[in-house]
Amino acid sequence: MASRRRGPARPGWPAVAMVVLSVLMIGTADAAEVDFDREIRPLLAENCFQCHGGDATARQADLRLDQQAGVVANVTAGRPARSRLFARITSNDPERRMPPPKSGHTLSAKQIETIRLWIVGGAGWSEHWAFRPVVRPEVPAPTEANKEGVIRNPIDQFVIARRADRGLPSSQPSGPERLIRRVTLDLTGLPPRPAEVEAVVTDFHPGWYERLVDRLLASPRLGEHLARHWLDLARYADTDGYQDDEPRVMWRWRDWVIEAINHNKPFDEFTIEQLAGDLLPGARAEQILATGFNRNNRTNGEGGSIAEEFRVEYIVDRLDTLATTWMGLTLSCARCHDHKYDPISQREFFRLFAFFNNVPEKGTYRRNSPPLLKVPTRATAAELSEIEREESRLPPGDSRRKSLEARRKKLLAQVPSTMVLSEGPPRETFLLIRGRYDQRGEKVTAGVPRAFPDLAANQPRNRLGLARWLVDRRHPLTSRVAVNRLWQQFFGRGLVETPEDFGVQGSRPSHPLLLDWLAAEFQANGWDVKRLLRVIVCSHTYRQSSRLRSIDRRLDPDNRWLARSPRLRLSAEMIRDQALWVSGLLVEEVGGASVKPYQPAGLWKEIAGGASGAYREGYRADRGSGLYRRSLYTFWRRTIPPPTMATFDAPSRENCTVRRGRTNTPLQALALMNDTIFVEAARQLAVSVADRAGGNRQIERAFRLVLGRRPRTAELAILVRGFRRSQASFRSRPEAARRLLALEKFTPAADPSNVASRAALLAACHVILNLDEAVTRE
Amino acid sequence: MLNQHANRRMFLGRSVSSVGTGLGTAALADLFAGDAVSDVRRFPGALPRAKRVIYLCQSGAPSQLDLFDEKPELGRRFGQELPDSIRRGQRLTTMTSAQKRFPVAPSVFRFRRHGRSGARVSELLPYTAGVCDELCFVRSMFTEAINHDPAITLLQTGTQQAGRPSFGAWLSYGLGSQNEALPGFVALTSWSLGGGQPLYDRLWGNGFLPTRHQGVRFRGVGDPVLFLSNPAGIDRRLRRQLLDDVAELNRLKLDRFGDPEIATRMAQYELAFRMQTSVPELADFSDEPRHVLDLYGPEVSRRGSYAANCLLARRLSERGVRFVQLFHRGWDQHNNLPRDIRSLCRATDQPSAALISDLKQRGLLDETLVVWAGEFGRTVYSQGELTSSNYGRDHHPRCFTIWMAGGGIRAGLTYGRTDDFSYNVVENAVHVHDLNATLLHCLGIDHRRLTFKYQGRHHRLTDVHGRVVKPLLA
Repeated sequence: MASRRRGPARPGWPAVAMVVLSVLMIGTADAAEVDFDREIRPLLAENCFQCHGGDATARQADLRLDQQAGVVANVTAGRPARSRLFARITSNDPERRMPPPKSGHTLSAKQIETIRLWIVGGAGWSEHWAFRPVVRPEVPAPTEANKEGVIRNPIDQFVIARRADRGLPSSQPSGPERLIRRVTLDLTGLPPRPAEVEAVVTDFHPGWYERLVDRLLASPRLGEHLARHWLDLARYADTDGYQDDEPRVMWRWRDWVIEAINHNKPFDEFTIEQLAGDLLPGARAEQILATGFNRNNRTNGEGGSIAEEFRVEYIVDRLDTLATTWMGLTLSCARCHDHKYDPISQREFFRLFAFFNNVPEKGTYRRNSPPLLKVPTRATAAELSEIEREESRLPPGDSRRKSLEARRKKLLAQVPSTMVLSEGPPRETFLLIRGRYDQRGEKVTAGVPRAFPDLAANQPRNRLGLARWLVDRRHPLTSRVAVNRLWQQFFGRGLVETPEDFGVQGSRPSHPLLLDWLAAEFQANGWDVKRLLRVIVCSHTYRQSSRLRSIDRRLDPDNRWLARSPRLRLSAEMIRDQALWVSGLLVEEVGGASVKPYQPAGLWKEIAGGASGAYREGYRADRGSGLYRRSLYTFWRRTIPPPTMATFDAPSRENCTVRRGRTNTPLQALALMNDTIFVEAARQLAVSVADRAGGNRQIERAFRLVLGRRPRTAELAILVRGFRRSQASFRSRPEAARRLLALEKFTPAADPSNVASRAALLAACHVILNLDEAVTRE
Repeated sequence: MLNQHANRRMFLGRSVSSVGTGLGTAALADLFAGDAVSDVRRFPGALPRAKRVIYLCQSGAPSQLDLFDEKPELGRRFGQELPDSIRRGQRLTTMTSAQKRFPVAPSVFRFRRHGRSGARVSELLPYTAGVCDELCFVRSMFTEAINHDPAITLLQTGTQQAGRPSFGAWLSYGLGSQNEALPGFVALTSWSLGGGQPLYDRLWGNGFLPTRHQGVRFRGVGDPVLFLSNPAGIDRRLRRQLLDDVAELNRLKLDRFGDPEIATRMAQYELAFRMQTSVPELADFSDEPRHVLDLYGPEVSRRGSYAANCLLARRLSERGVRFVQLFHRGWDQHNNLPRDIRSLCRATDQPSAALISDLKQRGLLDETLVVWAGEFGRTVYSQGELTSSNYGRDHHPRCFTIWMAGGGIRAGLTYGRTDDFSYNVVENAVHVHDLNATLLHCLGIDHRRLTFKYQGRHHRLTDVHGRVVKPLLA
């Protein structure tokens, strides 16, 4: 091998490049190891597909390097010098050299060498990894001694095997306090109660962790927490999103999602009902309600809009959302031209478009617009049947019937009407040239891209068939994309770092076998989401410590190889919910119309006042419980999202979002320092611990409520010192203490006898809520 | 103050050394990146003429026909039908597409030659006319969208759909910040006549770029920056003490866990604390001499007015804020245009011109790029009834006028030409992407190289289009 690498220059081999290459060759992988899919296709995609890829209109020289035939025809296995492709990328003639300078692309000497080695090694071709069928891999044999339980399930075996030659041992398990906080936050979005932590720490029976996990998985808070991720994908909001951005009613759909997660609806049903629940035989109201998923897109009612232009936009948005959510594909690239990287032609895009083209919907509208559905909530439904029961007991003509009838009428009037899909008279579908609504090309029929398995012959050629196709076992993407996203929720990053793009230009999985194993398990277990979550959080990979060891810093600062648990800043919703929860302010109530918590005055009026009657009064915060509900119930105005949510990286919900950022900015510090809700939470936290004797105990209790652990001596000392200092400061300024405690908000301000101490306690609680650890899952 | 400074130094020094591996250093370097470093690093060989931008976005779309694009011949065609040879079946909005007639509505306003450059400007804009030798007018702009929301989104983000980064976010991402105590990208809003077209957070949004590049809205009411003020009862001294406690506790955590994010958060709290003084100072005009305040006109003393925002823009720019984005709402004049455009011009003409003069006097104009633009133009035909003194104009994407001034732009130029009806561009058409490519060029950035990989491709502000319009360059 080595002698071949250092062999004499071949004819036509550029001498300069040779010098560079001979240096680079040391330490390069063996030729046999150059995997086409892993190393060559990404190179070709990045540098060649622009002109030699799927886009027929941009294609040069009738050459396609995105398909096996084009590649094979241009290389001679084992003979770089006789390979046309290699000759062109190494040519000294600037006219012939590929890629041409005007493309803006260049191949580095190292990349050219990789291609050479690949040809030398036989120029094998293989399908893009994500388009191959999911095959359940063998679980690798353990290579790390199973000490301290570093192998708890197959996940750990895959993860450890992938680290085999990196010299990175697994971390120790996290201590129980930290682990309980982590898993409780991750599964419910809220921290544990000190008593829950205490119970485990003092009573340490084997299996305690699994039992805790089972309890959390059964909690209704799970649905509220996990729904949030789905709402980002579904671009769920309470407004229509264009121009005046008027209110719409879609929360019934949001509640459907929470319930589906809590009832552990299998992911295939979850998929089918949301995409085509209305087309299921004998569809129940709840199944039709599910199709609200695809009415969450923005809609435009701006005066002067052309209806067809926007009707087309809505369908494109639905396809984009579908492709991102279920297939991890950037489908909408193919709206205007054949996809440049992935095997989707423009024609195929419009064949998918045809599936959604029959929704009987206007192109321009504000607020809610047909098709609509009225579904009573569970509570209302129960009340209605109660009325019916009572009525049935009454003799005809009984005067009480009248009042029952009035009650029923009133109840029915309150049932919200929400947007859903239905199938109207079929419309003809055309390829739209350059994706423009008014430039029709050839007529197309509904169908799926050729690169993927066919629609099953016994399935209808409509949305229902399409939805079933997505969850067909043969579909290579759906299960991989779904498990990757769930993994991302627990580790902060997917096994595929680009959950929105499993195509040729996306990232490759860090742990391909683990990804496939999870995908295969998921399918084999009937798309059981809770079961999958349980496997993930019960692994040692999940349970290990998140402390950054010096070896991690040296060998894997980014934690790609998972030898420690990640430390992750909490999401916007979790930060606010936690503050409400630990201070006792949280009003727990699942579902219902969206609420309006505090928002700085004038925020809406300043940029969107006046134009729409819906907002003439600006933002009016709720009074009472609406201020203290979990953040997923916050009224979401797309063009002016709730400011603290946006500051902590919540998306605007204008379009499908798979991955939120996790930034760290001064505006976040300002929000935690001064947003009313965090000051009020600190005050109520102080109130809730005030019955403990003495500042030390009070502070210790507050600390445990927020962080789920006891403070260390040094930590407590800092807090107590600060408390005393604030106390002294407030003693000299009792008026300031009173103003801080008054807050002019809706929870009644107790009037403690010692305002200085109470204000100082508030300040100490505020410090705790502002700690890095408080806003971090570690 | 001195003490705080010393504290910060120590704090920075310690956090960097304790992390030690360069991770924390990288994070901090990124936070406090000086412009020189990031400019050179990211765009080697580029020759920036401008260091920052002030963008005066006139939301609602001002009428080019009544402000800049003089069509003296139209007087003779008053009330005549717009010829089909001009309209060429182009699409109209559904607000006027059902009109039976499309009567030509000549502007009721007079135009005059101004300055050495001889620019022709409407009587509505006497102050702008007064600085016209500093300006470069582009009369041949065009866009693709015909409704406000998609059009202003295209102007600010390079695409009609929501979800892409705004110009300022791209610049913050590309060039970093020049000021430690202020955000790199600030948005300011104001309105006339009750507002009209709404604005959207996405117009200063970060799209798929990291959130820290999103524009920070400086507000005209309440805290200039959200959550800037301490709650009642917590004064600056106590706040300092509380933050010291937070920092000390975070330091213990950092020592035990080694996560560089902790060091970053500590730095961000310090920055937030400094913003609590730097931002109010900025919004306080009491240190401005009378003659400067007078330059901007009487409205300058009303917080949140366009005039106040123009002066604030200069103050932000002066302190190194990369991109200051003003929006003024109220230009959407479908009817009663002659009356309404007067109020809009009264509110904006003097301050816009004052900004140019003020920057010039301070020697800042050369390194600041100022852009005045709406999202599209307006139709030559009247929407609704046409009388000798009144008319309305519908949306018109096929041509409109903007002006630019400052770093790298050729002053005194009027570029591009439309037909006799100000309906179609007949010479030197400039698309929104071309404008953005040209602005980036002035900032030393090749618009094809300022990219961010998302959803499998390298996105740019100019999508896959745009060319630098060389004749506009100094």
